[in-house]
Amino acid sequence: MPVRPTAPRPPVPAAPRRGRAARRRREDLAGYIFLSPWLLGLLGITAIPMLISLYLSFTDYSPLISVTEANWVGLDNYRRMFTADPSYWHAVRVTVTFALIAVPLKLASALGVALLLNKALRGIALFRGLFYLPSLLGGSVALAIVWRSMFNREGAFNSLLSLFGVAGKPWVNDPTWALPTLMLLAIWQFGAPMVIFLAGLKQVPTELYEAASVDGAGAWRQFRHITLPMLSPVIFFNLVLETIHGFQGFTSAFVLSGGTGGPVDSTLMYTLDLYIKGFVELDMGYASAMAWVFLVVVGLITVVLFSTGRFWVHYSDSAEK
Amino acid sequence: MRSKVRLLALIVILAFVLYPLLWMVGTSLKSPEEIASNIGLIPRSWTPGNFAAGWSKFDIAFGRFFLNSAMVAGLTVVGNTISCLLAAYALGRLRFRLRGMWFAIMIGTLLLPGHVLIIPQYILFRTLGWVGGDWPYLPLLVPHFLATEAFFVFLMVQFMRGIPRELDEAAVIDGASPYSVFRHVILPLSRPALVTTAIFSFIWTWNDFFRQLVYLSDLKDYTAPVALTLFIDSTSESSVGPMFAMSLLSLVPVFLFFVAFQRLLVEGINTSGLKG
Amino acid sequence: MPFDPRNATPDQGTAFRTSRRTLLAGLAALPLLGAAAACGDDDSGSSGSDKVELSFFWWGAQARADLTEKALALYTSKHPNVTFKKTWQANQGYFDKLATLTAGGNAPDIFQIDDNYISEYASRGVTLDLTPYKESGKLDITKFPESLWKYGEVDGKLAGMAMGENTQGLVWNKTLLDKFKLPSPQTGMTWEAFIDWAATVSKTAKVPGTQDPSAVYQALWVYLRQNGGDLYKDGKLGFDETHINKWFTLWKTARDKGATPTPDIIHEGNATDISKQLVVTGKADTSWVWVNQMPELKKNTKDELGVMAYPGDPSAQWARASMYFSVFRGSPHKDAAVDVLNFLGNDPEAGKILGTDRGLPSNLDVRKLVADTVTDANMKQTITVQNDLGTKFGPSSPTVPPKGHSKVKTELIRIAEEVQYGRQTPEAGAAAFVTAAKAAIGQS
Repeated sequence: MPVRPTAPRPPVPAAPRRGRAARRRREDLAGYIFLSPWLLGLLGITAIPMLISLYLSFTDYSPLISVTEANWVGLDNYRRMFTADPSYWHAVRVTVTFALIAVPLKLASALGVALLLNKALRGIALFRGLFYLPSLLGGSVALAIVWRSMFNREGAFNSLLSLFGVAGKPWVNDPTWALPTLMLLAIWQFGAPMVIFLAGLKQVPTELYEAASVDGAGAWRQFRHITLPMLSPVIFFNLVLETIHGFQGFTSAFVLSGGTGGPVDSTLMYTLDLYIKGFVELDMGYASAMAWVFLVVVGLITVVLFSTGRFWVHYSDSAEK
Repeated sequence: MRSKVRLLALIVILAFVLYPLLWMVGTSLKSPEEIASNIGLIPRSWTPGNFAAGWSKFDIAFGRFFLNSAMVAGLTVVGNTISCLLAAYALGRLRFRLRGMWFAIMIGTLLLPGHVLIIPQYILFRTLGWVGGDWPYLPLLVPHFLATEAFFVFLMVQFMRGIPRELDEAAVIDGASPYSVFRHVILPLSRPALVTTAIFSFIWTWNDFFRQLVYLSDLKDYTAPVALTLFIDSTSESSVGPMFAMSLLSLVPVFLFFVAFQRLLVEGINTSGLKG
Repeated sequence: MPFDPRNATPDQGTAFRTSRRTLLAGLAALPLLGAAAACGDDDSGSSGSDKVELSFFWWGAQARADLTEKALALYTSKHPNVTFKKTWQANQGYFDKLATLTAGGNAPDIFQIDDNYISEYASRGVTLDLTPYKESGKLDITKFPESLWKYGEVDGKLAGMAMGENTQGLVWNKTLLDKFKLPSPQTGMTWEAFIDWAATVSKTAKVPGTQDPSAVYQALWVYLRQNGGDLYKDGKLGFDETHINKWFTLWKTARDKGATPTPDIIHEGNATDISKQLVVTGKADTSWVWVNQMPELKKNTKDELGVMAYPGDPSAQWARASMYFSVFRGSPHKDAAVDVLNFLGNDPEAGKILGTDRGLPSNLDVRKLVADTVTDANMKQTITVQNDLGTKFGPSSPTVPPKGHSKVKTELIRIAEEVQYGRQTPEAGAAAFVTAAKAAIGQS
């Protein structure tokens, strides 16, 4: 099922037939030459481990034995996952909830602040850097300690709420609120997609805006008809990647919950459950099965995103104007 | 007036965003007993010694770990920007047989959760003889020179598709080969993509804990994230103060890298100059 | 080995299996062969002049690293042909890395391990069977308390040498009690009396008297042993729902009496980090840890701490190995490695260097030597308490937990917290825990 994200081809400029065929062959060759490092990486470094993990998903492999000693169990891992493991579906629910809420909010914050920062402003470079700082911390242990301290019963967040007369809760230690706290941590790191949005905004040719101003178009019209379409490839990229990363979210959940997915599994993201099954319980065959199910499902979601992208993403390398 | 409102909005948002970081700064200056009990912003007993303690805590000064991280991250940036750009040009710009299939596979490699790949990759690298030895960084670096990070390939593809194809076609009409088009049309216009890739590569590698932990066994080879965890052994006294101090210090190179590179994102693309 | 339902595969036909095995065996010509690679009795001579480099992997903080490196340097000075390639780190990620190294056939010659994983590693054939060395005296455990070194036996084979002894220790904040003129808890007081004591502390000092230990597996373990059960017996669970129900209900009553903090703070204290224990964060007066962790706790607070056994009859406690050193079965230098173990566990000078960092020295003579020379007051107190408790231990002690123990622990935390948060009744929680624990160790 080749995914075709491209728009319809532009009309090829008229040229003698022989030249066109030769050009096609040359482009074929050039394509593979440019692709060769990636192909080498794929075959040499990525594909083999992926295929090994696929094989392991049908075995009872544990890291403590060798790959050849693992017993074939067929679909047993998959069966167990779907029917005999309550924590699995729980992890699925947690992950879907997380992705559906945190991803749009993170993207909206990133785009919003990027737009605010795009216009010339005194000290704009400094602002950009400061907004990006949270993303730099990544999944550091230090950050987790900070977040836990801020969002527990005596933390700064409750102090802030009390200024408004709102009673606080022990957010990060409460099974109902631990996941929202995790979502907030993810959204707080919107600096990364923000930087990508900024880069994309910079790529919009300024003369388009100049021409539109001359034609009398206001800020909103300019946004709708210039910024959004020109930015759509980048919006699409961020949407796809943040969705994939949202589903894959591991580090924040790991450090915030101390590796447990707690309290009472309320922050048990799918990949955290996978890590626990594979590395803590040493049931690596089962973890591999979980990974491949993940690949298929998120792959399908990605295909859907690509299909819908055809309708709203505008690429400058296509003939539409 | 509007710009004042904009500025105010930015400052308010920034205050919320930065509070946790300010808290980190405060904690890095607290004494051990205070860290466990005082959760306010300002330390009661000022302990700048945390920084000195963190720096010289191990037999090897923390600076060595920074250098290791800088080297690994720097080389990763070089590898990623070059190899991913080449792959992106192929997958995003050129037309050739089976391109759609390779593109789909590239996206596919993004999807598999990394934890199930760690052990097969370790076995693979050990078979190749890259694990351990005098220069143990091979398994961490070689993949990046072979465009294995589909994130950046996809990123560059999307950026490239924002470059008008008329420019390519104009060059082709003038007799340019795909290689010339790459050199003279795509490469100069790919600056935002390259800069973004460089920034993210640097930061992700700088913070990549587990893979560096697995492949590095000598204290002198450790990178910053691995070394930072040495401060927190949960079964014994944890040096949270020095750890926070070093975490903050660890932010500095990354932040500087970002500031330096993001300036290259400043100019907009003025394509009219190319047509002349 | 307990029956593992995962091994009950539908029969795919032996022929099919065999041919795939042959194919894979071909691939295995490469170092895809993992843990059991270099079986056999090859060895390149330990006490000879052949140069030997042993890889040594442990977890701990810088303090432990300094001590360990000194001890190893001492060994090298006595055996110049043996050098060490040392790797150490914090315990975060330690077992992940150890598993990865093992998977790649690259496990260290000597590695530190604890009762969370030793059964797993031993039953998979990763650890060297030290029994022959014990019998021949090359690994001398005669001066170790019997229950201590036996705690390293998995399926009758000695899988690791105990590298430190500890036992359950209740740590409380003495300064706070003194401030309010409250009595300290006493060894041997009943659970109910202890809870009443804690409730009094809560009322008077306005700080919850104790952390709720429903989720603390070693507290449950002691309680079970005091009530006719055990955590594990002969590879099966040593308890049933009635025991667990009583345990959860006991602590529900305690929470209702106000003896413990609120569930969210209990959750904070359920983390295994030393620095998060409620006794040092000031959110409760008592924490449930191991005796040898008291000096570490002390470093996190200015207040004075006291330590004693868990409530109930102290004869239910036992000499537990805080951690072990094991040798990789595929190591090419087995004899040399075992000799190093023997040195670290028995040599008086090495013992003095290593001190009580990993727990009380296993060798009783070394322990006496260390106790006489140690200067730190908290360390002294720890040794005194541990030795005193040692005299009270009962005759029977548990064997090392079987495979799946770490999952049993995490399930206990999860289910106990469900009950603590009021999301499940003690009875329902008890049933759930028994089911989960059975599944974890593969008991049908």
